[in-house]
Amino acid sequence: MAGSNEVNVNESKRVVPLNTWVLISNFKLAYNLLRRSDGTFNRDLAEYLDRKVPANTIPVGGVLSFDHVDRSTGLLNRVYLRAPESGGQAAAAAPWGFKELEKPLSCTSVVPVIVFFHGGSFTHSSANSAIYDTLCRRLVTFCGATVVSVNYRRSPEHRYPCAYDDGWAALKWVTSRPWLHSGTENNSKVHVYLAGDSSGGNICHHVAVRAAEAGVEVLGNILLQPMFGGQKRTESEARFDGKYFVTVRDRDWYWRAYLPEGEDRDHPACNPFGPRGRSLDDLVGKFPRSLVVVPGLDLVQDWQLAYVEGLRKSGLDAKLLYLKEATIGFFFLPNNDHFYTLMEEIKSFVSPRCDSLQKA
Amino acid sequence: MGPSSTSNAGTGKPPPPPRTELDGFLAGAGHKVRSSDLHHVAQRLERLESAMVSSPSHVVSDLTSDTVHYNPADLVSWVDSLLSELTHSYHHPNNSSAPTSSTSSSSRSLPVDLDDLFAIPSAANNWLQPEMPLSQPPQLTVFTTMEEDSGIRLVHALMTCAELVQRGDLHLAGTLVDEMTALLTRINTGCGIGKVAGYFIDALSRRVSGAGSAPASPHETEILYHHFYEASPYLKFAHFTANQAILEAFEGHDCVHVIDFSLMHGLQWPALIQALALRPGGPPILRLTGIGPPSPDGRDTLREIGHRLAELARSVNVRFAFRGVAASGLEDVKPWMLQVSPNEAVAVNSIMQMHKLLGPDPSPIEPVLSWIRGLNPRIVTLVEQEVNHNQTGFLDRFTEALYYYSTVFDSLEAACPVQPDKALADMYLQREICNIVCCEGAARIERHETLAQWRDRLNRSGFRPLPLGSNAFKQASMLLTLFSAEGYSVEENEGCLTLGWHSRPLIAASAWQASPLSAAIAGGDN
Repeated sequence: MAGSNEVNVNESKRVVPLNTWVLISNFKLAYNLLRRSDGTFNRDLAEYLDRKVPANTIPVGGVLSFDHVDRSTGLLNRVYLRAPESGGQAAAAAPWGFKELEKPLSCTSVVPVIVFFHGGSFTHSSANSAIYDTLCRRLVTFCGATVVSVNYRRSPEHRYPCAYDDGWAALKWVTSRPWLHSGTENNSKVHVYLAGDSSGGNICHHVAVRAAEAGVEVLGNILLQPMFGGQKRTESEARFDGKYFVTVRDRDWYWRAYLPEGEDRDHPACNPFGPRGRSLDDLVGKFPRSLVVVPGLDLVQDWQLAYVEGLRKSGLDAKLLYLKEATIGFFFLPNNDHFYTLMEEIKSFVSPRCDSLQKA
Repeated sequence: MGPSSTSNAGTGKPPPPPRTELDGFLAGAGHKVRSSDLHHVAQRLERLESAMVSSPSHVVSDLTSDTVHYNPADLVSWVDSLLSELTHSYHHPNNSSAPTSSTSSSSRSLPVDLDDLFAIPSAANNWLQPEMPLSQPPQLTVFTTMEEDSGIRLVHALMTCAELVQRGDLHLAGTLVDEMTALLTRINTGCGIGKVAGYFIDALSRRVSGAGSAPASPHETEILYHHFYEASPYLKFAHFTANQAILEAFEGHDCVHVIDFSLMHGLQWPALIQALALRPGGPPILRLTGIGPPSPDGRDTLREIGHRLAELARSVNVRFAFRGVAASGLEDVKPWMLQVSPNEAVAVNSIMQMHKLLGPDPSPIEPVLSWIRGLNPRIVTLVEQEVNHNQTGFLDRFTEALYYYSTVFDSLEAACPVQPDKALADMYLQREICNIVCCEGAARIERHETLAQWRDRLNRSGFRPLPLGSNAFKQASMLLTLFSAEGYSVEENEGCLTLGWHSRPLIAASAWQASPLSAAIAGGDN
């Protein structure tokens, strides 16, 4: 790999704008510094390097945010809302405050609430990381949704199933907030969707399974370059290894850090439709419909496509959005077509009147 | 820029910014890079990748475990410093003590002169990225118990009352105060929103009735400060971080002089004295000048504290001299009182004092900053509350304070301090609340401003930042693990460190020195 490094670098530079290349390469560099070959992780340095931003109850770009912290777990949820229309009783730039927690989002229309699980391969980042805060704000702006971005305990300090337990707790919290309700009187509830990128996408799947089994309604799953894998090596892993920011080796490291010690990548957390996975046909009618977004230059794509197949084989509704020239992280900066395509797709996916069930 | 042209043909894409400006999208991701520097950074990243791939693994792991990082927001300097670190260690595998390397995680072997490592970024912060507000935004952190009905109604009432006060309708505000006092009887005032609301209702009541707040005697203030120090990590963090930076700044100097803007009980200094005693090469001669209020009863408290510190210094063989400067306020201090000599390295230390100088015109802040700069200090350590309580509008100030102190009190409860620390720490904070809510004009001294505001002010007054670094970050994080309460977090903010409760920074520490041009003008002034 060392010898072909120049070729790899030139290839990735050809397909993304320069500032995107700098951003993702910088992450790659930082992450290389943080992962240790013995499987441990330099958490202090990771927190130091991670660019974080505070919440802001004054609307910026029409979006305001505030934080909720669960006292028992210490986990942060950050709520993003579309700023209320001015001309109401509040002054134009008055900070949104405690009193609004008494009212639902809307009594006349449906407002989708997206529970967002940030990525980072189960190890990196937080809801208040700058890249994710920005992404969630854009989701509100483009899709008209309310977004609740949630933290979960990360590996290697906390392994499977911590992330899923935390995700499930977050979903229960969101669905039990009266102030996240919307809709008219006989349809007032939290209209909830799950979304996430990378490990966040993986969490969406497993939380949705739990929700379906428990009878908690989730209206849709949005999996953005979800993190799945398996023991066997696939063609996309061979073809794209090291070419577009990601290597098979680093993927292996993150799975070793997340899965229980001694487990391999056919563990159902990693490979839900693999040899140790299960069909979900008993959950038809309960498991949400899915939108799975696959970047065409992601080395994990074969596993992501296999996931879509697995959903469909179980009789579940899955829409595939395959973005041929997209690399991982294409959605972090709005400087490419794929970003706008993605936002349009998500918008129509969470729109209450969307009943088109196109399959790719 | 061939690679980008095909991808940019999208709809709704904003026009590219002028090349000397910061790249807006990267700024939104927390990285400050000028558009014109993108190629340079990209090139460095490529070289770093090649260097890391071709280096032996022990070199790379040294790079990660030993290197001290500074200001990762400034991508250019961070990448450059990593590259020089890596190529240096690669070429000199046995030499770990070269002057430009920043190896060793021990707090004492830090580089002699930080300037050798990297270019200190200029204040290129004028470009307003629509997605990144410049100043600390109003923050609301909700904790699960906040959703109790009475709690929310109380907060609602508090805001309404504050609005009435702002409008000048004191009569109606007074009625509301009575109603809120009644509401208080129905909820738990021992903790949570009930407790905080109680303090704010009290403060509003005083404002409305014209009773105002009783000024605390300096003696009382010192005691409350001491208990606040014991009950929470905030002041410990302040002292610890400042001492770390002062220690680094004093490397290589044999005569050093610390000027403490508020001595209190001298709690900050034993740790520094001990660290200096253990310094490789031996301790310097240490002078400490402690500023504090005059004692009304004839006791010379400053001198007593100085005496105790001298005893400690003697016990660890550090040559030490103390001088007390009695002044009711910093505005009464004149530089000649500090008796700075030309051959000493000076550190000016201000823990939550500068904001008191931000009063109405003629505000003493500029003259004070000016004489500080005139001392040509090696370092100025500044710790301040991370919040804007200096807004002119009463309602804004009130709202900000309510959110801020709710968070602080919450963090204190989680830290489970013992009595009487807890009760007296509460009183310490209550005094601040009262001053912010009740007082105006010269009487209002708790005029906290945010790190972003202080940065702006200090940059304009001829200072430049001295980044605090990942080592200080790591050690501050370790300090926090001594507290049983989970939830405190240390964050890095462009070379400064903040300590906060969950995602909300509450106190910010930064370090500064005089910018070269001003130092030249100040010349041999002492």
